[in-house]
Amino acid sequence: MTGASLWARVEPLLSRIERPARYLNSEWGSVHTQEAEYRAVFLYPDTYEIGQANQALGILYQQANAIDGVAAERAYLPWIDLIALMREEDVPLFSLESCLPVSQFDLFGITVPYELSYTSILEALDLAGIPLRAVNRSEEDPLVVGGGPCVYNPEPFAAFFDAILIGEGEEALGDIIAAHRQAKDESLDRASVLERLSQIPGVYVPSLYHESVNGDGLTSVLTPIGSTPAVVTKRVVASLSAYAAPTCPVVPFMDVVHDRYAVEVLRGCTRGCRFCQAGMVYRPVRERSADEIVGDVLDGLACTGYDEASLTSLSTADHSQIEEILRRLTRRLAGTGISVSLPSLRVDAFSVELARLVSAGKKSGLTFAPEAGTQRLRDVINKNVTEKDLIDTVRFAFEAGWRRLKLYFMIGLPTETDEDIRAIGQVVERVLVAAREVTPPAQRGAIRVGVSVSTFVPKVQTPFQWEPQITLEEVRRRQSVLRESMPRKGVDLHWHDADVSFLEGVMARGGREVADVVETAWRGGARFEAWTEQFRLSTWLAAFESCGVDPTLIANRDRDIEEPLPWDHLSAGVSRRYLQRERERAFSESTTPDCSFSGCTGCDVCGDLDVDIVLTGGERR
Amino acid sequence: MTPGEFRLRVAYRKTGRLRHLSHLEVVHALERMVRRARLPFAITQGFSPHLKAAFGPALPVGTAGEREYFDVWLTKYTAATEVLRVLVASAPAHLVPFEARYVADSVPSLTAALTIGSYEVEIDGKGLDASSVQAALKAVLTTGEFSIVHKGKTKFFDLARSVPKDARVTDRDGGVVVELTVRMGPQGSLRPEALIRHSLEAASITASAVRTTRLETLVEGDEGVWSRPV
Ligand code: SF4
Repeated sequence: MTGASLWARVEPLLSRIERPARYLNSEWGSVHTQEAEYRAVFLYPDTYEIGQANQALGILYQQANAIDGVAAERAYLPWIDLIALMREEDVPLFSLESCLPVSQFDLFGITVPYELSYTSILEALDLAGIPLRAVNRSEEDPLVVGGGPCVYNPEPFAAFFDAILIGEGEEALGDIIAAHRQAKDESLDRASVLERLSQIPGVYVPSLYHESVNGDGLTSVLTPIGSTPAVVTKRVVASLSAYAAPTCPVVPFMDVVHDRYAVEVLRGCTRGCRFCQAGMVYRPVRERSADEIVGDVLDGLACTGYDEASLTSLSTADHSQIEEILRRLTRRLAGTGISVSLPSLRVDAFSVELARLVSAGKKSGLTFAPEAGTQRLRDVINKNVTEKDLIDTVRFAFEAGWRRLKLYFMIGLPTETDEDIRAIGQVVERVLVAAREVTPPAQRGAIRVGVSVSTFVPKVQTPFQWEPQITLEEVRRRQSVLRESMPRKGVDLHWHDADVSFLEGVMARGGREVADVVETAWRGGARFEAWTEQFRLSTWLAAFESCGVDPTLIANRDRDIEEPLPWDHLSAGVSRRYLQRERERAFSESTTPDCSFSGCTGCDVCGDLDVDIVLTGGERR
Repeated sequence: MTPGEFRLRVAYRKTGRLRHLSHLEVVHALERMVRRARLPFAITQGFSPHLKAAFGPALPVGTAGEREYFDVWLTKYTAATEVLRVLVASAPAHLVPFEARYVADSVPSLTAALTIGSYEVEIDGKGLDASSVQAALKAVLTTGEFSIVHKGKTKFFDLARSVPKDARVTDRDGGVVVELTVRMGPQGSLRPEALIRHSLEAASITASAVRTTRLETLVEGDEGVWSRPV
């Protein structure tokens, strides 16, 4: 690759913008490779402070840099102020490490972190001077490869990518790079490169699938062209131990979200909440061992200089050795001023015990997610928590000295009635009563319960993938029902924006036709939509209108169980049979246990992908 | 002095692209550097224990520093040269310590002691020359007063007090360099860059870029003698 650093043109702009630390690079832990045969750049489609701590990108950055002859760099979307100056001065999107134009790399990897990031991805491609649509790219353009949480319904953004990795990247990234290098050596043209990539397990090449729309015009499905696999199944690594966790990650200069040393303690969660996409698509559960985790935390802290370590996963308290891990860490870190944090807690006394173990006297706040107000509805969604569990846990926590609590609930879940909604207010009331009872009178004024309420968005590859999302008007009505039933004193009520949930719902299940809408909305000025002040539903409604797409048919329609779906050509390994069975169990209000505690419940992921549950402590408690 | 603690004063540079860091970002980066160096640092007592360190007067975003200071307290005496060696090995490029010495606990804090800042301001622009910049600056300095509006508040500076030494203006590499010394204080310090930009504007001189470097910060002694804090 040729080309000169853009730094001399970027630096003069930095005195004219906010927070220049976003663009400086040269952080501790950043990797600078002068000579490399193959160059990759990984973009997080938001600002530096939002994307820097992304653990998946941190892993890929380390892995790619470890390959002989390969240099990997990072890129973020500059904030609006710098984008304006870059466009004025004709400076293209640049990588951090070498400050080279992103368009000059061999591989441009983009993570797709949430449904509202699609317009920011277009902003990045455009700023980079890369054609937005894969079909318009030439031999000179980098290979644009996507990955990340949103790939299970990729069609709304698939047209903007040459290839999309479904599933975990540890092994697949190396396969993609190797295939691309080989193809370059053979001087293959772009179309042949894509064909090669489509043969790698887990790699979805959108241009090799043909879209057809059903007679009713309601659904589009994708069928393979030529020898392309009919279904792309996610990649998954059998054991996390085979891959060293990054113990010398980049240490940012500026304040970023999750500014601490994070170690992934386990992957996957099989509690089986029926609304939860992460719980379905990241199966099976694979733990890292206590020795590995303790070693990584100590090494990582030593290499980074952080004063906080976080043990991350979908449900850290479930780790079969969690108590041992925390005891060992608190012993080793005593007197260093370093704290350990647990991002997710179950609703039980054991979790509070764990929180107490690491709190070292500091009791900032606890978070629990009962999700629904009645036992009936919690059974529908398979949230195996009773109100007694919740009240007992609250008592235990407030007795132990906590005074602040945050509770997560959802409205709009399948089968929800007004009674279920009012029950949320009653649960919160009983939580407050329980908290007050066990708190000394003089301290009762300090009790605060935060209640955070989101709107249920049906996601693909879950038992609720066929369900309608409630309409915008209905969201507003149910919110007012909830508001009236909520105790006033001691409660801070937060809503997830209804307009945002609606658009998330459209992106979560839309087909290929939505790509035009995304592009139109971006042309209409949409970008950085995870930033509340940047989000305008009106831009989107205009885009739907002009593209002739009815978003309510995507979000709010009740789908027939036999209906072909726009994501049928992708599999997360969990069988459709299982999803359907879980759906039936939901409507009959029967629960399904967690297979990591009580034996296989037949989701088929282990058999289909030839993997197994990995519990390093033998069994869970 | 807390018994068993050793106060080490470290001088470092903030240069290159890291001139764009804010003071808080520099503080965090230095604390993490000390932790990485695995020094036997002391921990503050109290609600949220953290590394015991103290920093010199803040450098604004965009301003580089050639000789900045911080103090860190160690619980075990370690030869200063050895401390310096491990700190350098743990420092990010462009934020590198170059001197470390133990100081007595009776020595005043860096923020209280360092009241003089000497700066170098590089100005780029077409057709700039030292004499016109010198004249522009002098025109403002002789008025004796300078004010800036910051966050809606107007701040006045008595220039005779705030600029205790004559500025030196020289031509260098097609641009102009101004060496300016200012008095710093808890009520806010005069930013050389602001004074110079204002002077250039008043004289209708256009600059394409202005880069500021603090060369060093000094202690003002009894007889007005300036010295380094180590
Ligand atoms: S196949 Fe069985 S054991 Fe494996 S994740 Fe699914 S339910 Fe659990």
